[in-house]
Amino acid sequence: MTTPEFPFAPRPVPEAIAHLGRLVADRPMTKMTMPYGGDVWLVHRNSAARTVLGDSRFVREPFRTGEREVPFFVPFPDFLRTTLQFEDPPQHTRLRKLVQKAISPKRVAAMRASAVAFANQLIDDMVAKGGPRDLVPEYSLGLPIEMLSNLLGVPSADRDKFERWSASTLAVAGKTEDEVAADMAELAAYMTNLIGRRREQPQDDLLSALARARERDETLTDAEILPIAFLLIVGGFDNTATFLSTGVLALLRNDDQRDVFLADPDGLAATTAEEILRHGGFALGNPAGGGAGLVPFVATEDVVVEGQLITAGEAVSIDPSAAGHDPAAVDDPGRFDITRKDNPHLTLSYGLHHCLGAPLARMELQVGLAELFKRLPGLRLAGEPVFSRDVLTQPMTSLPVTW
Amino acid sequence: MNAKVFYTQPDGTERVLEASPGDSVMQTAVRNGVAGIVGQCGGSLSCATCHVFLESGEFAPVSEDEDDMLEVAATDREDNSRLSCQLVLAEGQEVRVAIPAAQL
Repeated sequence: MTTPEFPFAPRPVPEAIAHLGRLVADRPMTKMTMPYGGDVWLVHRNSAARTVLGDSRFVREPFRTGEREVPFFVPFPDFLRTTLQFEDPPQHTRLRKLVQKAISPKRVAAMRASAVAFANQLIDDMVAKGGPRDLVPEYSLGLPIEMLSNLLGVPSADRDKFERWSASTLAVAGKTEDEVAADMAELAAYMTNLIGRRREQPQDDLLSALARARERDETLTDAEILPIAFLLIVGGFDNTATFLSTGVLALLRNDDQRDVFLADPDGLAATTAEEILRHGGFALGNPAGGGAGLVPFVATEDVVVEGQLITAGEAVSIDPSAAGHDPAAVDDPGRFDITRKDNPHLTLSYGLHHCLGAPLARMELQVGLAELFKRLPGLRLAGEPVFSRDVLTQPMTSLPVTW
Repeated sequence: MNAKVFYTQPDGTERVLEASPGDSVMQTAVRNGVAGIVGQCGGSLSCATCHVFLESGEFAPVSEDEDDMLEVAATDREDNSRLSCQLVLAEGQEVRVAIPAAQL
């Protein structure tokens, strides 16, 4: 048997799934040369990925300090290198705890009713205008933007400009580098001012919680809070919208699973959301390839993971597609099954650096899918979806639907 | 000698797992696909998604960090609430936990 290649070019989904199965059977990881920043180990096996993500000998400091370039598909944006994502313990632990308390499961559960109300408002607007409508701008993006504005505590009078600046970070915005930089600068100035106001007069929101947070008599400075807000904006809009659009399209293209979902949207929203995170991209009917990875780490010493030596100084990253389709971790990984109870995908990562907005993202995905299909059970495609091939994540930019 | 953990789901179904001493109740659940215990942060006390109600079994008391995270779990905490990543199993120990209705 020949060695399964990696990365590999897009091929029909069943072949891609079979290829990933052969890959994880053959080896835990593959060394790959990235377009920027040199070599990185892409970890395919679910078990090996969890081992790496749970091992504190893999750190991000060399990326933050600039000692090492981030091996990635695109030049890694500088402003992202200064965020929480690139801190290590103990500084990371301190910041992370403060932020996580403000985006906790409990807090997100308390936001659910307003997410349901806002989703229904967006649906009302679409129904009033009449089909067909484009679901990406009118629903998938609207919901996360509203929820994050609420969470951060952006006053409603400022929503329009906040959304305009923030949307500039979206892959789908198609803005030039200068335009994005100008919007980012305005957003930074606005947020800095808002943090100052919240420090003086706290409200029940995340910026107030961070501005007033005290741990061992230390407070967070504006310079620490601002990047956290940026990380949430950048991570929260695009990704959540893409998962929601992908979820809707996956259900529209899989009649059997849509029928299952329609029988009990509220009851199945949680498992459906997890299955879309794991397998949604593969359930659209488009050819699937392999070669993507999460933000990498650097080994601080020689570490052997499932027989493979990762040498001190080498970079390592997780391949969530392979980890989510590893037959040792996921039963019949090629099957799109929205009732799957055990779903150990790594799409939101795991361990110390798991997705900061995970509780919020999951809630939005659950509410976004359930409300849409409860209100519009006859939802169907009214044209072909459009994907942007210009950016790394290849997000869906248009999804025409009617009902 | 292995430890033994009894996991009860909100619907009353029970699952019993043998566990290696030194592993946590969370690790044992995640490795064996026990529904309702997510453990997203891998035991670093930053996600509150491995909340359980400890029905029997002796463990170290709740630390300050665990206490903070229990306050923000999806299901309201009760007197016997614990984060199962902090319940490290001893040799031969038998533990019973109930899984809350929601973790996320």
